[in-house]
Amino acid sequence: MEKPEKLIIDGKRLDGRAPEEMRPLKIEAGVLKRADGSAYVELGENKVLAAVYGPREMHPRHLQRPDTAVLRCRYNMAPFSVEERKRPGPDRRSVEISKVTRQALEPVLFLELYPRSVIDIFIEVLQADAGTRTAGITAAAVALADAGIPMRDLVSSVAVGKIDDMIVLDLTKEEDQWGTTDMPVAIVPRKKLVSLLQMDGNLTEEEFKRALDLAFRGCEQIYQAQRQALKEKYAIKPEGE
Amino acid sequence: MGQSRKISSESEDSNLNSVGLVVKVKPMAEIKTGDFVVPGDFLATAEEFVPGEGAHEEDGKIYSSCTGVVLLDARTKRVSVFPRVSGPPSLKGGGTVIGRVEEVRDQTANVYIGVLKGHENRELPLPNLGTVHISQVQKGYVKDLHHQFRSGDIIRARVLSAQMGSIKLSTADDELGVVVATCSRCRTLLERENSKLKCPNCGNVEFRKLASDYRQGAL
Ligand SMILES: [Zn+2]
Repeated sequence: MEKPEKLIIDGKRLDGRAPEEMRPLKIEAGVLKRADGSAYVELGENKVLAAVYGPREMHPRHLQRPDTAVLRCRYNMAPFSVEERKRPGPDRRSVEISKVTRQALEPVLFLELYPRSVIDIFIEVLQADAGTRTAGITAAAVALADAGIPMRDLVSSVAVGKIDDMIVLDLTKEEDQWGTTDMPVAIVPRKKLVSLLQMDGNLTEEEFKRALDLAFRGCEQIYQAQRQALKEKYAIKPEGE
Repeated sequence: MGQSRKISSESEDSNLNSVGLVVKVKPMAEIKTGDFVVPGDFLATAEEFVPGEGAHEEDGKIYSSCTGVVLLDARTKRVSVFPRVSGPPSLKGGGTVIGRVEEVRDQTANVYIGVLKGHENRELPLPNLGTVHISQVQKGYVKDLHHQFRSGDIIRARVLSAQMGSIKLSTADDELGVVVATCSRCRTLLERENSKLKCPNCGNVEFRKLASDYRQGAL
């Protein structure tokens, strides 16, 4: 694709959104029968599935830790998830995303409750359009809750960035490709703890503050949708509904 | 939490002054029994309540640690969350388990616990090693534990207690005890003959604390 002349025209982005507007979001809890916990997230054209297993005994044994469980994440893009068919299996990008996903989720888990165990999270990107790592974290948090694994809080995640000198929420692939900066953020909502913050590109200090503030507001919307997904699946419905 | 850092200190956490006294408490929605909560939801302050199952305390406040329904017990001052999700199985007194005898000593048999009844499709978190004390094998007196269990036996047992990593089991009931055993000479599955077990292959006769449905029922 050629670089568009402008990514924002008359205050509207190429897909018609306002700068601080998120793509349509859909979250569903408990979508897989065989997994201990699972969730599905659609954010715009992104389709991401998360499955959780455990806590269970860690194999191989030499990876066991005597005083705590280990959180193990695997982020994977399905070969058909992008237009240029991707070579299957882990590449450097997937390994890096798996690691930051684990770090974004660890603060909310009581890993010390399960010595010598492992909690496995598999994130499968079925369709990708920028923002899959944050959608994966959002899905994984709901899947962990769906698995009934004790948690301090959920984790909500979204990307912000800069395109055409404007700070925007939730970049598309075009905006990620032709914009200046992409900044994925994950937040532990209750304590307002940032558990993931990466930056590809540059921001001035002033821009960074605005971007982070926008990320917080975006994550609040994600958080409400996560709650709603759990509520829809698990709240006791009054008679007649 | 090495990777996390706190960005905002305003919000409800700023209600401590320099000497640590609460000067301003942000009003929180009153939680009541039956309310639906998700992990991280505020339940009560630690002055009013103690955290029960599905709840945890942090900085003087009690929060939900699971997805479910709130239970406030005014008498015991306990706030718990009754889970609506099925979490990792946890061993508690009264539960029935299926396990494999790992080692038989003079006083105890060590059992690797595989499954908690009612949670068959979910792996049991560690620790999963239980012990049957010689006094808990059957209702009567047991002289020699090696005549009741052998390593490799599959047994059904009841959990007496599970605390601090120590899981105590009992087989002192008709439906509890060995459900599958193999010949200690040739590893063929043993067949029941009244109160004995006999090897159909080599004729060896062995004894066990048998469950009433030895090699009959589902596990
Ligand atoms: Zn034999």
